[in-house]
Amino acid sequence: MRELFLIFISAVLVNNFVLTYFLGICPFLGVSSHYESAIGMGFAVVFVMSLASSICWIIYHIVLAHFNLIILEYVVFILVIASLVQMVEMFIRKYSPSLYESLGIYLPLITTNCAILGLALFMIIRDYNFIQSVVFGFSCGLGFSLVLVMMAGIREELKFSDMPEVFKGAAITLITAGVLALAFMGFSGLISS
Amino acid sequence: MKEILKKGLWENHPIFRQLLGMCPTLAVTTSALNGLSMGLAVTFVLIFSSLVVSLIRKIVPPQVRIAVYTIIIATFVTLADVFLKAQFPQISKALGPYVPLIVVNCIILGRAEAFASRNTPLRAIVDSLGMSLGFIWGLLVLGSLREILGNGSIFGVTILGPYFERWVVMILPAGAFLVLGFLVAFMNFLEKRKLNAIRPPSLKLRRTVLRSFSEGGR
Amino acid sequence: MKYLKIILVLTSVSVFSAGILSLADLISKEKILENQAKAVNEAIAAIVPEAERIEEEEHIYRVFDKKSRLLGYIFLAEGQGYQGKIKMICGISPSLDKLLGIEILESQETPGLGARIAEGGFKDQFKGLNVLNPITYLKSKPTEDSQIQAITGATVSSRSVVSIINNRVEEIRKILK
Repeated sequence: MRELFLIFISAVLVNNFVLTYFLGICPFLGVSSHYESAIGMGFAVVFVMSLASSICWIIYHIVLAHFNLIILEYVVFILVIASLVQMVEMFIRKYSPSLYESLGIYLPLITTNCAILGLALFMIIRDYNFIQSVVFGFSCGLGFSLVLVMMAGIREELKFSDMPEVFKGAAITLITAGVLALAFMGFSGLISS
Repeated sequence: MKEILKKGLWENHPIFRQLLGMCPTLAVTTSALNGLSMGLAVTFVLIFSSLVVSLIRKIVPPQVRIAVYTIIIATFVTLADVFLKAQFPQISKALGPYVPLIVVNCIILGRAEAFASRNTPLRAIVDSLGMSLGFIWGLLVLGSLREILGNGSIFGVTILGPYFERWVVMILPAGAFLVLGFLVAFMNFLEKRKLNAIRPPSLKLRRTVLRSFSEGGR
Repeated sequence: MKYLKIILVLTSVSVFSAGILSLADLISKEKILENQAKAVNEAIAAIVPEAERIEEEEHIYRVFDKKSRLLGYIFLAEGQGYQGKIKMICGISPSLDKLLGIEILESQETPGLGARIAEGGFKDQFKGLNVLNPITYLKSKPTEDSQIQAITGATVSSRSVVSIINNRVEEIRKILK
């Protein structure tokens, strides 16, 4: 239990996917200009990441490692993730149109989100067992959404602030992310033993 | 041909203009050498996958083209990964999981979809060459800057002596965002100066027109 | 007909990809294993330069010099660091009281900070360290022979290395006794 909690804290705050591993930067920069779309994207990512971590774990340990096909790891993972996202999209469209309204447009974007593939790779590198992988997937998604929503909040304020022309757009977003990463470094003391 | 090359190197620079492939850009540029190796790995994958995509562009049904491109890219990424592990274990260790993450690097899928699938193999190669060279110099600049500021060295050779207090935060993740942010701003500045140099008269004209309008309104 | 083409193209691309990759795997597998073995051997040589003959038993290597005198035991140790697993090789003296040294094989620590655990300034402190009691770390200059100085700004990485060694040394002692 203690270990699971450590994985959770570590993935959400200390080693946040966006701010320390730079995974999922594309949607982080792209979808963070509006608060509401950030929340929608956040939910979609938490959902897909929890699913992807469990499915990739099963496929890696039961199929790939078992038949000595580890060389196909990357090809298989990216295909699994892409088809998973597609399936989730179809499933939601059929059974929950209201959820589809709010998440639908973000789902295709997730396929090229390097955070999902990164998640699968990291959990293999770190040798997590099944439960740990699922917790890891969920926490990474949560960490991603937390930072995304925070960033969107800041950027909505930034729209009204005065700054030199050249900093407008991507530059100030990156610098803000840098300051956010600095602030998150303060959490590193949380994991001490 | 020259135009295509120039686009990748400057006008549509993948990092500073299009903000593509951010994840390796920020993650591996803790030193100039790491930046260069990542650039070369991306070059290999980009050129070969563009070539293959362009060769088979006429037989791939449009419904499954993204899936096919992804398989091709992942194949070449695995090849690059295996090659690095076998021949350059040190570099492979330093880049870690960011080599397999080239699979989801938007530059590669982006070029396959936007250029290689619509152009002849030769043009596709030239385009990927331009984009990769642009990517490499971007990574090199970022990696060198961060290594100099954070470690006082470049390519592992110390250039700033003991009197230099190492600015460690620049090698940390936060530094990556900050350095890239200022670089993008600097690129914007260069671009803006170029625009101003070309058309100051028109700007002046616009101002006079505006003034006459507002004065006329009164 | 349309679906047939889709299936045909997808299958052939996948088969091609799998074929090329298996070939690459076949060619490179040996070289990769060789690299790993080489890294271990180099690490052992760095810890015990006089090593002449190595015997392995249950993942503990006994190292002998030219005259077949036991120089010490070498063993792998791994555990959680700040950002991921730290894998290292340690050597301990035949009397199990002093470390001969450590070498970091793999780590995902922050470059320029935590990654400096692999640099001489930090890892050489473990040479000749007294391990009868658990090793402790200080933020200042060590005063006793079972203390080391942590890397400034990378206390977590330094602490991880120390605790990985402490745990593993205890295990090793139980096995060898």
